[in-house]
Amino acid sequence: MSDPVLLTLEGVRRVHGSGAREVVALDGVDLTVRLGELVAVMGPSGSGKSTLLNVAGGLDTPTSGTVTIAGDVLSEMDAKGRAALRRKRIGYVFQDFNLIPALTAAENVSLPRELDGVPARKARTEAKAALAEVGLEKQARRFPDELSGGQQQRVAIARALVGPRRLVLADEPTGALDSVTGEAVMRVLRARVDAGAAGLLVTHEPRFAAWADRTIFLRDGKVVDSTGTDEPETLLADSVKGA
Amino acid sequence: MSVKHGLLALLAEEPMGVYRLRKEFEARTGGSWPVNIGQVYSTMQRLERDGLVVKAAQQDEDVELYEPTESGRAEAAAWWRTPVARGEVGRDELVIKLALAVSAAGVDVCDIVQAQRSETMRAMRDFTRLKGQVPAPGEPITSPELAWSLVLDHHTFTAEAEVRWLDHIEASVARAVLTPSRMETMDRHEAEVPR
Repeated sequence: MSDPVLLTLEGVRRVHGSGAREVVALDGVDLTVRLGELVAVMGPSGSGKSTLLNVAGGLDTPTSGTVTIAGDVLSEMDAKGRAALRRKRIGYVFQDFNLIPALTAAENVSLPRELDGVPARKARTEAKAALAEVGLEKQARRFPDELSGGQQQRVAIARALVGPRRLVLADEPTGALDSVTGEAVMRVLRARVDAGAAGLLVTHEPRFAAWADRTIFLRDGKVVDSTGTDEPETLLADSVKGA
Repeated sequence: MSVKHGLLALLAEEPMGVYRLRKEFEARTGGSWPVNIGQVYSTMQRLERDGLVVKAAQQDEDVELYEPTESGRAEAAAWWRTPVARGEVGRDELVIKLALAVSAAGVDVCDIVQAQRSETMRAMRDFTRLKGQVPAPGEPITSPELAWSLVLDHHTFTAEAEVRWLDHIEASVARAVLTPSRMETMDRHEAEVPR
């Protein structure tokens, strides 16, 4: 049986402005992301990548089409309901980490749970567990400026998936990191998704997109290609080992 | 480059027989360059003929060990110092295909770019899956694992360069304001005058 679907976009269209100034940011996008799946989104500037991420995360509303997150149709909910869904179901990871400087790593991670209404002690226990998942249990009491860029991004990943959150939306998470650190962050993101989450990753770096299960390419708001999930072991036998 | 220099560089570390040489060579290049024992053996014969190796003074009981001569050591040292020349350019099928596609009638360059990009990304995911099996940066790692990891990185970076080039083609074609070339404006017969 296939894994449950966490995110669905059906015929999603997003138009900014009107008349002569009309800009079609997304033009009939269909997308399904299942639990355990990491999907990369690539495309040139202005192709609609950010809009796609915003619409998928309920931060922006499509002009037409539907967005479904863990069974809830966003357009059928009011603003309050959408905000609650966003807060409880979705985690965001940004290029610049966006940790709160005055809070420790553990406090940054436990904050979303405290906002969920979870008692502080339980939130802290969960935060510690989430930090352990990204290999940062020893850094729990450090402040963001005492952590390296890669460590800060791992804290952000822990925060994005703390508690019941299963959908992570990552916007250029490796953009501010060097090549080796970027790889380490992608390994963590991949592992967290494998452990029971779904992810949508916007990146312009193909080698980081290669950590995803598939890549969709956007051009002028349309999905021009969606590389299917491939069979492992297809290529290496001849191209690497045999050269 | 040749297997020859790689083997010579290994012998500069300590005398070895052909079986051990082959094993070391494969392990330390991350298994990316398989060599057979006959190849190693014939390479040793050529190196011996050229005065770059000799049979080691101190022999193992049942294995013939080789060691580099003075000029063999110099050759190995020179190899480390000399940068590797870029291979022959312009013989890549993809380069030829895309160059032709730009001017071919009835061919959509963007379709070719897209199909190729998907294929190259698929290859990159294969490399990355294998990369996921070696220890992450900063974790304890053996030197053969590190070698293999770096070989995989090479394949990944090469593929990434291709994807970037494909992106660039797509953008360049989209922005190009094409004017007829001299070939197209010339009379067909004129263009085909024998040299």
